[in-house]
Amino acid sequence: MDTIVKENIDPKDLKSFEALYIEQQRRGYVSEKTQFDYAWCLVRSRYISDMHKGIELLKDLLHSAKDDLSKRDYLYYIAIGFVRIKEYESALEYTEAIQKIEPENKQARELQSYIKQKLKSDGLIGMAIVGGAALAVGGIIGATVAAMRKKKSNQ
Amino acid sequence: MEEQEILTTLKILIIGESGVGKSSLLLRFTEDTFDPEQAATIGVDFKVKTLTVDGNKTKLAIWDTAGQERFRTLTPSYYRGAQGVILVYDVCSKQSFNKLDAWLNELETFSTKHDMVKMLVGNKIDRPNHEVTKDEGLKFARKHHMLFIEASAKTNDGVQCAFEELVEKIIQTPGLWETSGKNLTLGSKGGEPGAGQGCYCVV
Repeated sequence: MDTIVKENIDPKDLKSFEALYIEQQRRGYVSEKTQFDYAWCLVRSRYISDMHKGIELLKDLLHSAKDDLSKRDYLYYIAIGFVRIKEYESALEYTEAIQKIEPENKQARELQSYIKQKLKSDGLIGMAIVGGAALAVGGIIGATVAAMRKKKSNQ
Repeated sequence: MEEQEILTTLKILIIGESGVGKSSLLLRFTEDTFDPEQAATIGVDFKVKTLTVDGNKTKLAIWDTAGQERFRTLTPSYYRGAQGVILVYDVCSKQSFNKLDAWLNELETFSTKHDMVKMLVGNKIDRPNHEVTKDEGLKFARKHHMLFIEASAKTNDGVQCAFEELVEKIIQTPGLWETSGKNLTLGSKGGEPGAGQGCYCVV
């Protein structure tokens, strides 16, 4: 899953699909296919601003999606986008939405467990920081108490 | 048992029309399972598996592409750098067989390694009412210099063999791959003989 999530697009591909999108926009009609191609490129860009833009374009497609198959495809790449910008909670909502359409979808399930793993390890890091601070505070208190006791017994 | 070093990592592609069983072949090969309700692939899927062929341990990075029309414009970007391709059709669908030429053209246009090894797989032989004979498959493969096998992801016929033969041919093609370690030499024999599956892929 790591490979799929971290895979970056060749900037040349992004450029050519962007050109097509802009051209259609200029003419006043962007086809669903062109918008999807461009959005799929954007979420795989190296730049966070592109990823955000890709997610927005995909959300727009999702609103007007007519069938479950296209909904599912858009949901999946929105989830990938959110994972890439490290908004794991949002990503999880989208993988759950895929599972409402296809409960047994393996790609969705794998992505979901990947996200949960990320959330867990992020949580553990958070806990480690808090725990480390607590240990440090505990250590200081302990040392102070010990020093006070020592002082007392010396008196 | 001594842990053998990986000789090389190979990029393998699976392509073909929607619904011919690309993901099912991959699932059978990597996890030895079959799902009759296998959903259509979203974009691309990726799996890794190590495979020892003729005593050479290789790591396969396998890209399973969606056959769906929506993804067709962008999937060719995944062809770059691939050393091997598995082109799949459904023996019960003449239409999927007739599209093989288009797939080969696309491959020719977008692949970067022109000596890449190609394997043609006629899937779903467990089903009745074949629309494509084995001979037709064989002829097409010969004409386009491809390896060929008929297979069934459902009954596990020919699946392991398809991947093994493909990798064997890649390893035998000089300049197509690079070793990942320093002191590795190409083995010639010593691998388990495929549990007597009787591979019959042909060029």
